[in-house]
Amino acid sequence: MAGPVKDREAFQRLSFLYQAAHCVLAQDPTNQALARFYCHTERTIAKRLVLRRDPSVKRTLCRGCSSLLIPGLTCTQRQRRCRGQRWTVQTCLTCQRSQRFLNDPDHLLWGDRPEAQLGSQAGERSQTTTAPAKCSSPRSSPPP
Amino acid sequence: MSEQTRENQLRRKAVVLEYSTRRKQKEKKKKSKGLSARQRRELRLFDIKPEQQRYSLFLPLHELWKQYIRDLCGGLKPDTQPQMIQAKLLKADLHGALVSVTKSKCPSYVGVTGILLQETKHVFKILTKEDRLKVVPKLNCVFTVEIDGFISYIYGSKFRLRSSERSAKKFKAKGTVDL
Repeated sequence: MAGPVKDREAFQRLSFLYQAAHCVLAQDPTNQALARFYCHTERTIAKRLVLRRDPSVKRTLCRGCSSLLIPGLTCTQRQRRCRGQRWTVQTCLTCQRSQRFLNDPDHLLWGDRPEAQLGSQAGERSQTTTAPAKCSSPRSSPPP
Repeated sequence: MSEQTRENQLRRKAVVLEYSTRRKQKEKKKKSKGLSARQRRELRLFDIKPEQQRYSLFLPLHELWKQYIRDLCGGLKPDTQPQMIQAKLLKADLHGALVSVTKSKCPSYVGVTGILLQETKHVFKILTKEDRLKVVPKLNCVFTVEIDGFISYIYGSKFRLRSSERSAKKFKAKGTVDL
């Protein structure tokens, strides 16, 4: 992928919105409505322009109400055992929607595998350097 | 004899005994991806109670926005091409920008200055320095956005889109640019 310009601008916008939501929540922990608004805008942009997001970023956004999930503040995180395996369950406090992740130290996300690192050089350029928050990076090769 | 007549009637005519068209279950349980009406009920938008949030709490957001725009344009003060900045501003996000209303058909809106908190389809929500949330419609208004010495005028009448749709849409120069 040559990294078309429009995509880079769009990714910068997404990452800015994400950081802005974090910033707003850091200033005032009680007001989640604005952070939710920003994350909802972010989700609509990503849907409209069909942009892929990094799974680590996607996991912090609730899929139901699109609020920013921070364990302890807006969501609860519990460890549970189900069918002999250990899962981490995140429950959003506003819409009561839960997400389950398997605790498997051997499980590697596609993005972390070495085959996917081809596109990482194009991805480095589009990351903004303002805050240490994670940004979404474009992945060049789709999963098989 | 009533039995005879009954028999006769039943044999010749078709009698509808009972309606059996059951209405199909149209109410499929929607996937919880888009609970739109319920979502809005949960007050996703601002409530006035955080007016305790002073203007000063949003200054870091403004700083973040400035850095973002600088990064987007690729330079602090390029002496070149205001058009480039305009083009980027069209696609950029304006949350956290310091906007002010310069011209408007309704004179009470002129001069409203503050940080843009929310942008919806027709409206800007601006927080002024006196901690008041002003809801300014985009129609028939000209907004001024300033970044690093570059002043841009935004004609609100052309901007009547949700901010997410704006980054996906291409803008054409149509019609006169005026209030």
